[in-house]
Amino acid sequence: MSRTDDTKLIERCIEGDRQAFESLLVLYEKPVFNTALRMLNSRDDARDVTQTVFLKVFENFGSFDPSRRFFSWIYRITLNESITWLGKSKRLEPLQLEAVDEAKGPEQELQSANLSAGVQAALMTIKTDYRTVIVLKHFLGFSYSEISQILEIPEKKVKSRLYSARQLLKDALTRTGMH
Amino acid sequence: MATEQKYTDLMNAAIDGEIGDVESAELQSYLDDSAEGRAMNEQLANLCSTLDRVEAEEPPPHLRHLIMSSLSPSKTAQESTGLLQTLLAAPVLKYAATFAAGVVLSLTLVNSGQISNTAFDDVTKLVGTVAKPVDTGLVSSVSINLADIAGTVSLRNTASMLILDFDLFAKRPIEIEADYTDRTIWFNGFAQLESSGTTVSAQAGKVTLAMQGKRRYAVYLHNEGGRNTTIRLRFLDGGEVVHEARLEYAPDK
Repeated sequence: MSRTDDTKLIERCIEGDRQAFESLLVLYEKPVFNTALRMLNSRDDARDVTQTVFLKVFENFGSFDPSRRFFSWIYRITLNESITWLGKSKRLEPLQLEAVDEAKGPEQELQSANLSAGVQAALMTIKTDYRTVIVLKHFLGFSYSEISQILEIPEKKVKSRLYSARQLLKDALTRTGMH
Repeated sequence: MATEQKYTDLMNAAIDGEIGDVESAELQSYLDDSAEGRAMNEQLANLCSTLDRVEAEEPPPHLRHLIMSSLSPSKTAQESTGLLQTLLAAPVLKYAATFAAGVVLSLTLVNSGQISNTAFDDVTKLVGTVAKPVDTGLVSSVSINLADIAGTVSLRNTASMLILDFDLFAKRPIEIEADYTDRTIWFNGFAQLESSGTTVSAQAGKVTLAMQGKRRYAVYLHNEGGRNTTIRLRFLDGGEVVHEARLEYAPDK
């Protein structure tokens, strides 16, 4: 979605237009939910975080800086909420990585589910800073520059964090035999 | 010998499509000469390919509705009033409505889908009947957040009317029973916004609704004199009660 479109919708949201807010919700619900899901490894928690994110967005339109891009704002809120949620549920410690069951049948769906579960298990073994950049890069498809905007860190740091994260993730996946 | 950090960085940048022509040529030259570099580059490409094959998951189907239902009253007040004003007064929107004045101790079965095409298309008559009490006040509200049912039910009041405002999503067909303790209160009508398919039946002291999917509708209860009452809501899925809630109207307190 273009920045102009986002801006128009946000202007309408600030004026209390619920339909405009629902349009933003339609656009961002799935990526926000998936961001939270990858950070938290729980659909229930991701659902709650997604709900919190959109309520915060709705309540704080007044403080949104229009010079910033909306996506960087909403994903930053999503990541912060996810990290806060992890703290609440005492999941900050990396989880033990267990070998992923091999696919029991030829069904593509099962393979896809196993791939997703295996990658998710590996993701949960790395620190949240690293997990964050992997999620932004690989599951949301952001560029270095966009990740830099979302995390408010220099691009150079984005690169070094991402490259380290990949190495750690590769090691984790290797331990499960997935890579 | 370990791969130099410089080339590791270039491999990552190349995978991400964020590498310039000069750097790309430099990387290619390195890979041509280094078996170790090629192996590492392949591993990196495999990793990224694995990550990119992970499919995004669909959010729970009711999540969007749940979020919209959870918006703060201060921001939604205008909208909520607007809905009721729409249901009560605006003739431009399509909706199904019926007012069954005088339904006391008798069973009424209403299929809103049928009504919308027949007797109540002329909404101006509807306006003439109940347009005055558009200034409704929110009395109380309950939220439902189950795996298969989500949304809100609000109780509003106006002069001699109580209005149950249902804003719900149900994955499967459900029934909702609304019992009111004061049996002198009677079912006075039903209106539905932009949808059909909700079935309403009324008898003394009780209204039963059947619905599925996303629905927004209102049930009107005549409450002459503004008497106290408690409305007990029971949500049934397959005949089993899956949720209960209460809405209280107590102006005397």
